[in-house]
Amino acid sequence: MTASTPDKGDFRRDEVIAGEYVLGVLSADDRRKVEARLASDRHFAAMVTRWQNNLSSFDEAYDPVVPPARTFAAIERRLFETASSPTAVPVRAGLWQSLALWRGLALASLAAVAIMGASMAGLFAPPSGGRPLVAEMTGKGISVDLVARFDRDSGHLRVTPVATRQAEQKSLELWLINGDNPAVSLGVLPQTGEGEIIIAPAMRAKFSRGSVLAVSIEPLGGSPTGSATGPIIALGKARDL
Amino acid sequence: MIDDEISGLLGRVSLRDRAAFTELYRLTSPKLFAICLRILGDRSEAEEALQEIYVRIWQHADRFSPGQPTPMSWLAAIARNRAIDLIRARKPIANAIDEAYDLADPAADPEKSAVIRAEGRRIDACMEELENDRADAVRRAYVEGLSYQELAEIYAVPLNTMRTWLRRSLLKLRECMER
Repeated sequence: MTASTPDKGDFRRDEVIAGEYVLGVLSADDRRKVEARLASDRHFAAMVTRWQNNLSSFDEAYDPVVPPARTFAAIERRLFETASSPTAVPVRAGLWQSLALWRGLALASLAAVAIMGASMAGLFAPPSGGRPLVAEMTGKGISVDLVARFDRDSGHLRVTPVATRQAEQKSLELWLINGDNPAVSLGVLPQTGEGEIIIAPAMRAKFSRGSVLAVSIEPLGGSPTGSATGPIIALGKARDL
Repeated sequence: MIDDEISGLLGRVSLRDRAAFTELYRLTSPKLFAICLRILGDRSEAEEALQEIYVRIWQHADRFSPGQPTPMSWLAAIARNRAIDLIRARKPIANAIDEAYDLADPAADPEKSAVIRAEGRRIDACMEELENDRADAVRRAYVEGLSYQELAEIYAVPLNTMRTWLRRSLLKLRECMER
């Protein structure tokens, strides 16, 4: 398999390799080669996704088996009790790593917006009481960069899209995340231009340095469920201005 | 609908919602555990794999998007990929994709596969167009995570014959689904 874009004569071979990958018959080395190409060749990635869709009806052959309770306990330990262990990777770092990995991923229908790299430079300025908080939410190579500025006294949260090349008929919804608590919706950003959302008084206290602001793509008007349903396109941690 | 529910849960999990993660696990782990058991064939290995799979789901839930397959098949693919990686590491097999592929099939038009196009048929209908043992081999490769060597032994054919069977079957399936 070559890393370069194949000419037409290679498409049948590519289809077969994509199918073999999804079937699972390839060796470990060959699987790594396929995955490397998945990251760089959108057309090939679409072939693999299509085989996954096609063959997923075989999943019906797996009759569900409830795993023992200890398995979920072990998962929770691995995910949520690692902070005290000096060698463990904190959960938050895992999130940033996963975001960095978004770069170069080609998702067929959302390629323009779903590729995300988090820029976290200079986020921790010294604290200063009463000053506004600002979060820069950026994604490398994606359609939207946002700067959020929160004035604690007035409760104004101003979100400025630095660049918007966003598909129509979708809304951008802003979320606040504190630690491992569930994300709370802060509202839907105006479709164009600078957006300002007034945060309800009860919510204002939840803003602090280290709060994470995230923007997801939702159906027009915002998430129908109250939780984010679309991809997260921007994410940033609040710091003092 | 269950797919909508799982989609919503994945969205919440990507925002670090632990309650959503617990619920996602409750709904989906029996299927993913079944995948691990079937492919790995060992209960303790399957439990260990399931842990890794859900750690990965927690960390990568934000990668699920409406452009993907259904959420359940997306999760199943994560589980199958992990289980197959483990079984291939445990029982190494020969590399294949750098060698020449024998794809000769006079009935097929090479141009047919050159474009990703919408599909009007389901895989099940196309599987019925394959010879029985070949369809069976395709299905067992997927469901059980079998290698070409294992399939060749099961069907008592030479390794290269099995490769040719499966590769041509894949092309026939592709051609059928685009028809």
